[in-house]
Amino acid sequence: MAISPKRADPKLLEILVCPVTKAPLEYDADKQELISRQAGLAFPIREGIPVMLVDEARKL
Amino acid sequence: MSAKNHKNKESQWFGYEKVAPDEKTRRVEGVFDSVAARYDLMNDLMSGGLHRLWKNKFVRMMRPRADRSLLDVAGGTGDIAFRYRALAGDAAKITVCDYNREMLKVGRARAVDRGYLDGFEWVSGDAADLPFEDRRFHLYSISFGLRNVTRIDDALAEARRVLRPGGQFFCLEFSHVKNDLLQKLYDEYSFRVIPQMGEMVADDRESYQYLVESIRQFPKQGELSKRLLNAGFDDVKVTNIMGGIAAIHVANIY
Repeated sequence: MAISPKRADPKLLEILVCPVTKAPLEYDADKQELISRQAGLAFPIREGIPVMLVDEARKL
Repeated sequence: MSAKNHKNKESQWFGYEKVAPDEKTRRVEGVFDSVAARYDLMNDLMSGGLHRLWKNKFVRMMRPRADRSLLDVAGGTGDIAFRYRALAGDAAKITVCDYNREMLKVGRARAVDRGYLDGFEWVSGDAADLPFEDRRFHLYSISFGLRNVTRIDDALAEARRVLRPGGQFFCLEFSHVKNDLLQKLYDEYSFRVIPQMGEMVADDRESYQYLVESIRQFPKQGELSKRLLNAGFDDVKVTNIMGGIAAIHVANIY
């Protein structure tokens, strides 16, 4: 069922960049996080929705 | 005053109450967490049911086509995205970006209900700090959303950045009426009727009071046009709906 996918769609990951630096992101499939090395932030993917908000990101 | 002094002045207003920018962001989020499930009802109350027709017109003006990609901002529940898809066809690429995850979850569930299994991407992001590459999209739309953005000028600059050359910006928003009599009737309706209805229907007077006040605080047609030009758009066209109760701003990049 596709109603509440746990994992993000790979096509979506292609179009996303870091909202702060606009640089590409690394995808950590195990932690379900999108990592911006330059900004030192890990953006969570929650219920299949990437949360690209600095306030919700984990500091690296 | 220079344009700089004007920059993002709405960031301090939560309706008629003066607050810090972070506080505004947090409180707007609270409004939408609180109304997400009844969002259509809210819009029906605010517009007398007419928002559906306005949105139809808005999306037709976008000239939807499968080869014109769309970024719809603040459109979590999919109102604009689904209309675009219906006109552009199944191959259309549509990205929905909303600050509020509850709104996105409503939209994603509706997509499934409509049998749309692909063609949509759902992202939680800030209109003023978009998580997309430069020149990624043909069209940018924001419908009844810009009013709630904390940093409006930054959001306009971000819209400009993610659009391709030849791209178009579309904004549908409650606006300002020019006719005095209409203004009087509309004020009466907005300030007396809507918060009351909000209390009766949704048991949430405060959120509806905020919505009415936020409409009055939103820049007038001419001012928003200027701010679009300041953000780097090459021209702006305004279409008033019902004497200015709502307005559509279309801005082009050449």
